[in-house]
Amino acid sequence: MDSADPVTGQQARPAVPSAPADAWRGTFTPPVAPPVLPSPVRHDRIWFQQTTRKLLRAPFTRDTRRQVEYAALGLLLAIPGFVFIVVAVTVGLGMSLSFAGMLAGVPLLMAALLGARRLGAVHRRLAGRLLGVQIAPPPPLPQETGVLGRARAVLTDPVGWRACGYLLLKLLVAVIGAIIVVYLLVWGFPYLTFPIWWEILHANGVAIHVPGWLAWWKPDPLVAAGAVHSLAVSFALIPVGVAALLYCPWWLKGCNDWDAKLMARLLGPPMGHRVRELEQTRARAVDDSAARLRRIERDLHDGAQAQMVAVAMKLGLAREKLGGTVTGITEAELERALELVDAAHRSAKEAIIELRDLARGIHPPVLDHGLGTALTTLAAHSDVPVELVIDVPERPSAAIETIAYFCAAELLTNVAKHSGARHATLEVVHVPGLLRVRVSDDGCGGARIEARGGLAGLAERVRTVDGKLSVSSPPRGPTVVTVELPSHA
Amino acid sequence: MRIVIAEDSAVIRAGLAEILADHGHEVVAAVGNAEDLLAAVDEHEPDVTVVDVRMPPHFTDEGLRAAIAIRRDHPKTGVLVFSQYIETRYAADLLGAASGGSAAGVGYLLKDRVADVGEFVEALSRVAAGGTALDPEVVTQLLGASRRTGGLGSLTAREHDVLALMAEGRSNGAIAGILVISERAVEKHIGNIFSKLGLAPSDADHRRVLAVLRYLES
Repeated sequence: MDSADPVTGQQARPAVPSAPADAWRGTFTPPVAPPVLPSPVRHDRIWFQQTTRKLLRAPFTRDTRRQVEYAALGLLLAIPGFVFIVVAVTVGLGMSLSFAGMLAGVPLLMAALLGARRLGAVHRRLAGRLLGVQIAPPPPLPQETGVLGRARAVLTDPVGWRACGYLLLKLLVAVIGAIIVVYLLVWGFPYLTFPIWWEILHANGVAIHVPGWLAWWKPDPLVAAGAVHSLAVSFALIPVGVAALLYCPWWLKGCNDWDAKLMARLLGPPMGHRVRELEQTRARAVDDSAARLRRIERDLHDGAQAQMVAVAMKLGLAREKLGGTVTGITEAELERALELVDAAHRSAKEAIIELRDLARGIHPPVLDHGLGTALTTLAAHSDVPVELVIDVPERPSAAIETIAYFCAAELLTNVAKHSGARHATLEVVHVPGLLRVRVSDDGCGGARIEARGGLAGLAERVRTVDGKLSVSSPPRGPTVVTVELPSHA
Repeated sequence: MRIVIAEDSAVIRAGLAEILADHGHEVVAAVGNAEDLLAAVDEHEPDVTVVDVRMPPHFTDEGLRAAIAIRRDHPKTGVLVFSQYIETRYAADLLGAASGGSAAGVGYLLKDRVADVGEFVEALSRVAAGGTALDPEVVTQLLGASRRTGGLGSLTAREHDVLALMAEGRSNGAIAGILVISERAVEKHIGNIFSKLGLAPSDADHRRVLAVLRYLES
């Protein structure tokens, strides 16, 4: 513990001059890709306007508020986490050096690794909630029986050790981030209002020094020996204050992005696990699309295709009846032909409906207008009254929209078919990085993900894009099915 | 004719029954799966059956297998296999089964053909009478497959047309009508085809077809 503060303190300071530059390069992308316009002047102006607007607005956006919350909560969590890991790991390892000490040291080490797993999960969730950075949970600890087996599983758990690493580095990142933010704020506000201070302080005969990093900027005689000597110079410091304050959110975002990268490395599933998972989901995606094509073929074959054959048969027969014009047609034949044409007409209309339903089943065209519109239509057609809660400020990618739509459609169908509910709620919320679809009903409950069942099929399809489906359905209800999808797949 | 229909789509089944009844034939049974079809054929010993390839429970080739079984167990019953797609392998299976038995009374048509009601009923009658009715599509596929392997390279374009029509199960008179040539010219072409393929000519329509197809399959 004693060594911790000097370590971070010493490392934090030299890192200051270079870190902001890195963070800036790493995270700041021009807010809008310059549009391709014939006039270079106009394009420059638009780009300039948009950039300025974005820069000026940055400190006040919801995104920035979340970044601040994340950084603050992260720092608060990082301090005890760091202390816990350093103490538990060093003491645990130290004690394990002697044979007798192992009895206490190994459990302590195990506690450190299990604790690191837990704390890692908290950090991961925090990032998911506030930064919209979804990091897949690492694989669970292998189930071992017996004290020794369990000890081995915990001590050789790569996830636990990587989480330890993260918790140590996290404090460094959080402290560097916080120091710079505080520094920018502490200097930014006084600079912004410098002329006022200058007036007051100068009147009291206090010399005001600019900080060392501004020392290159002291063209005598305005600023002599780093001291601000005149009101004019104090006005010149206002832009410096503005710049410092406007830069603050970008710096913070840079630090958080850096943190997120670290998290993806150290708190996510190990690479091999991820590769296996991707192989599985890819296989599932392929199976799923093949199954869907087969279903479409079956639907066409049994539906519209058969209907059209029937139409052709009836019209063929009618044509035969009417074909005998040379010899004359009897009244009865004419009537029969009319009946046949009538029946063919009906069949053709049925075939049109079948085709339309089928086409909509492949891709509902209304989805092109966004998930909100599509789901409103869907809810309106439901047999059970559906209350809609839709909060989708930004559109997720088309594939995700389609999956979300079909999930909602299937879940609402399930409600109507199985639950006996009188009322259902469809909730679709899009926060950065995550689209959540939730269907709840006041029906009989008892829904389960069963092998080969509808919900299992849905869960499989959701997993192909790294999403997940969870069901809460106690007997007698209520049933809540939640589907979480990444915004982009 | 006494007819058994096996078709899982209710609309098509009803339509077929209507057409056949309208043409004065007796539909003794109309069933929706292969098992019922075999039972109905055992019971009624019909002149001909119309069999859909894809039927419950697996919707693959239940109908085709039933058709082959009927060819084996009821040589007097003609089988017209009826499908929304033409599969060359199915045609080969069916004809292979036919040539093993009495080599008569087999047909394989696309469902679309039923739109030309008169021709469809005529094809069915041909099958019932021990003749053959193959969809032009089947013939094209079989000829195409064999042309790729180079078997029919020595035939002229006209002989090719004649062979295709023969394979559909047409008589010389019908071929002459379709190609707008004299029946004698058709006979001459057929004679050339047989000599080029090394086959002895024969009187019966279906024998010619099967001879040609046996050549195509090889």
